[in-house]
This record gives sequence, C-alpha cells and structure tokens, in this order.
Amino acid sequence: MQPKTKAITAAVAASAVGAAGLAWLAMPASAGEAPQLPSISAEELVQSVLSTKTPALDGTVQVDNNLGLPVSALPGGVNVNIDAAHVYNDGNGNSKLTVEQGSADTTVVRNGTTVWTYSSKDNTANKSTLQPDMAQQPSDVPTDPAAAATQLVAKVRESSTVSVEGTARVAGRAAYELVLTPKPTEHTVLREVRVAVDAEKRVPLRLAVMTYGTADPALQVAFSDIEFAAQPASEFQFTPPQGAKVTEKQPDVREHAAPTKDEPKIVGDGWDTVVTGTFSPDALAPQQGHPQRGKNGQSMDPTALLRQFGKQVSGPYGTGYLITTKVGSALITDDGRFAAGAVTEQALSDALSAK
Amino acid sequence: MTTATLPAAAPKRTSVPLPRLYLAELRWIFRRPRTLIVLGLLALIPVIVAIALGVGRSTDNGPGNGGDALLTSATANALVLPVAVLIVTLNLLLPLTTAMSAGDAIAGELSHGTLRGWLLAPVSRGRLLTVKALGVATFTLAAVLLMAVVGLLAGLVMNGTGSLFTLSGTTLSFGAALGHIAIAVGWVTLQLWAVGAVALAISACTEHPMLVVVSVLAGTIVSTVLLLLSSVSWLHPFLLPKSWDALVDVLRDPMPSSGLTEGVIRAVCYLVIGLGLAYARITTKDG
Repeated sequence: MQPKTKAITAAVAASAVGAAGLAWLAMPASAGEAPQLPSISAEELVQSVLSTKTPALDGTVQVDNNLGLPVSALPGGVNVNIDAAHVYNDGNGNSKLTVEQGSADTTVVRNGTTVWTYSSKDNTANKSTLQPDMAQQPSDVPTDPAAAATQLVAKVRESSTVSVEGTARVAGRAAYELVLTPKPTEHTVLREVRVAVDAEKRVPLRLAVMTYGTADPALQVAFSDIEFAAQPASEFQFTPPQGAKVTEKQPDVREHAAPTKDEPKIVGDGWDTVVTGTFSPDALAPQQGHPQRGKNGQSMDPTALLRQFGKQVSGPYGTGYLITTKVGSALITDDGRFAAGAVTEQALSDALSAK
Repeated sequence: MTTATLPAAAPKRTSVPLPRLYLAELRWIFRRPRTLIVLGLLALIPVIVAIALGVGRSTDNGPGNGGDALLTSATANALVLPVAVLIVTLNLLLPLTTAMSAGDAIAGELSHGTLRGWLLAPVSRGRLLTVKALGVATFTLAAVLLMAVVGLLAGLVMNGTGSLFTLSGTTLSFGAALGHIAIAVGWVTLQLWAVGAVALAISACTEHPMLVVVSVLAGTIVSTVLLLLSSVSWLHPFLLPKSWDALVDVLRDPMPSSGLTEGVIRAVCYLVIGLGLAYARITTKDG
C-alpha cells in the first residue's frame, strides 16, 4: 500500500472510530419502549405500594429542577440545586442517603434509631436519636394497607382524578404510571403529578410535577439507576472522621406540643392548600451580613432581595411582594404575613383575607 | 549454512529493538533541564496548597471563607488533598505541561534538526511515533504520580494517617486510601494521554513547539467556556473536559462509577483520533 493511502486510511479509520465513540456518549439514554404490563386499578397500585416494605436497594437519584426559582442559591447560602443523590437501603429500616452538590456532600446514615448527618464541606457530624415510637408510622394511619389505600385514594379523589395511565421504563425497569390530575374546580397552577411505580417491586421510581404550557416537568425526581440487592451492613455504620465537629441533638419533646400562635396555618385543602402565617416585620429590616460570610462583605437587605425577585402587589391584605415560580407562588406582606401554595395570586390573597 | 544465516541477520540489524529506543527517548526527556524544572514546580503545588490551607486554618478564617468547597475539605483531610490538587491542575496546568512535552517530542526536535537523526538511524515512521507517544505518556504519568505522592505526604504530615476519610465521612485504611488515589492518578493520566495524543497530532503538523502549546491552551479554554453555555449543550458530550468534574467521585464511598467510566471512554476516543491523525501526518511528512 502506498504510504499516502495508508496514512489517509489510518486518519479516516481512527477519526471515524473516535467520533462514533463520542457520538455514542452523546446519545441520550433511550427511554426504551413502554413495557407491556397487566392492567391494574389505581387502588390496587396504591395499596401494593403502601404494603411494600422498602426492599434492599442501591440507587442513584437525579433531580431535574425547572421550577423557575428566581434564585438558585438562597441568600442564606443554601444551595437548592442538587446534582445527584445516592440511596442505599438494607430493607430493615437502615438507610443511607448521600446528596452531592458540586464537590460538597451531605450524608445521612440511619441505623436503627440513630441518625447521623455528615457534611463534608465543613466536616461536621450531627447525631440524633429517634424515639422508637417516632420511628413508627403515626397511629392515626390504619395499619391495614388495603384500608389505608382505600382511604388515601378516597381522600385524594375529593380533589383529583387518580388513574393509571400506561407504563414507562425508568432506570431500565418496567413501571406503571400513576397520574393525579386536579379536578377542574381546583385553582392550582399544576397540571398533574405523575408517579412511576416499579411493576415488580412496587417502589416509586419517579415523581414528576407537570405544569401548564410545557411538556417538560417542572420538577422531576427519578432513579437514573437502581439495583435491588442486599447491601453490606458496614454501609450503615457511621463513625465521625478525625477532626469532625460532632454535635448531638436530642429529640425535641415539645415538637408535638400544641401549635403556638406563630405556627403556620393551613388554609384550604387538596391542591388549593395554602400555608399562611406571620413573622416579625423586623425580619425585613436591613441587617449586616453574617460575620462568617464576611469575605463577600455584603450586608443583607431582605426588602431589597424581595424587590429584586418579587413583584410589588397590593390587595385587600395591604401591600406586599409576590414571588412566582412555575409550581406556585408566595405572597409576603409588608405587615409581616405570608402565604404560599401551588396556586394563583388570587387564591393567596383570599387565603390571607380568610383569617 | 552461512548463506542461510546471512540474509536472516541482515534485516535484524536494520531495526533497533523498541525498548532500547524507548529508554533512549526517556533519557533524552528526563535530561532536559526544563523537564526537571517543570516536574519540580508541579511537585511544589501540593506543598504550597497544603501550607496555604494550614495557615488559613490557624488564623481561623475557618471554612466558609469562600473558595472551593473541595479545597476547604482538603484542609483536614489527607485523602482529599492530593485529589483536590489534581482536580484543580487538571483544568489547565496539566494539559499545558502535556502539550509542552508533546510539542518538544516532534515539533521541537524538528526545529532543532535532531529528528533527522532518528530517521537516519533508521527508525520507521510508525516506530518513531510509538516511541514519542510512549515518551509523552511516561512524562505525564511521572508528573501526575509525583503530584499525588507529594500531596499525600503533605496531607499525612499535616493531619496524620487518621485523616484519610472520604466525602461521605467514612475513614479509609491506608491501603484503601492508596487504592482511591491510584484510581485518581490513573484516570487523570488517561485524560492527559488524550490531550497528549491530540497535541502529538498538532506537533506532527508544525515545527514550532510553541504552536502546540498555544493550540492545546486554546482548545482547553474554549472547551471550558463552551461547557458553561447551555445553548450548545448538544456539543458538550464531544468535549473532553466535560468529564473532568467526575474525578470528585473517587473521594466518595462507595465510589459512583458511571461518571468515571464515561470519562474513560471519552478519553480513549480522543486518544484514538489523536494518534490516528498523528500517524497519518508523520508517515506522509517530508524529510
């Protein structure tokens, strides 16, 4: 073969192989064809989910957030964007959850009644102990899954249409799609909520919140990868590493005390649920930046933030700021009241006036 | 008998065994003062980072004084320090060093006229490229290994052997920690080989080593900028630095493998393309 022909052959072959490999990586993970599954009623599906104890599993959860929040990082330094989370469960109530945010991880390990929370960013660990009865289901929920399912579906049906709409493939597993659609009488801004339930293990694999005007979910939490297999017990042991600041939190006994005056109240029910409450108007006054965040040297002015991200509105409640996202809105009034819910501005205004 | 051995012996002398060529190339690379200076400076980086983090800790600026979350975690952690240093330098400094090595390998020798010596030896063009590629590969491995070892030692001196814990909070035994760092070293080296293969292809096209360095620098920076633009997200899987963030995964326990595997495949694709083009160019080159 002529050197030139050989050279061209080598160049073309190598480029083709390399480009094909890169193109293969670029291909979106195909959802695959919707699997054929025996039909099932919504009640049966919900019942089987409730009666199933979470099996031993190991999975990766992806969170797609298109909420349209005006800020991706809240002023308090709380990052609401999650890259991925890993979930481990041994099937006996022990679990481990790792949340990745960039190169900072938060790990929550639950072993029996002990819960460890570890943050890699500042190397802190927190230990808390659950009361044995707190770990159990609240007593007002019937223990019989069939009754619970009927009750739950009946409750949800007051405000929504519950149906099983076909099947889907999530993380390579066949799943039923349970769809909750608000009844036309509801004032919510949500279109529907879809829950994909694994056909075999009856574990929810994907939760998607759909809004009007777009086919992409506003919020989707889904397993990108899941394996049902026994997990080593060492996975659920946690020892704080060297140099970690360890704090211990005893369960708060007053947690179940009667709600005080400042506790948020729930107005409405179903999809139109609105949380209202009050806060001290001083919270809106400008305050100096937290000493720890001194590097940026910024003083925080909540009112300025509200003005930046919200819209100034007025109504029967007085004046305030409205923050709108794709899945709901929040109304903060100048006299220290707030209302939030997956509803329109009008419903928030009504909720504030209802008091 | 004599007539039979002579023709057999004759072609044998025309080809020098590859290991000998490789050793000659290594001697050539590691005797260059600039190679040693670059390696020395790279080895200093983990030490400087360790001292800076240690000073920051003692003056109690504390965590949360801004900066990279990973470097903050590296303050008290001998496992995170070497990997964090590799992650930070992988973005620009290590590709640049690789490009320098690849630029010297072909373009540099061509501009000095020393490449003709190889061709007179005689060494076939394919073998020449093999030797040069192995030389660049060895240099990058040495650079990465050196930084990781110095980083690990600096971390151990500062925090002791108990400080080998992952981002998930699990403390690793010394052997397991070495395993994690070895994976990081191997993975970073493979990414740099991909950069080096492309740099060799450029190096075979020019006789100015500076052009190789500039091209790789430009390619790295442009890729990084493109990765920030969501409007060209269809292009992202084709860019090598796309998977460089995945290196953080070696600091997790258990180690998530999907991101790292994707990075390996991407690097191998670049490696194949780069070496293929370099081979095509070097075999058709005049002189």
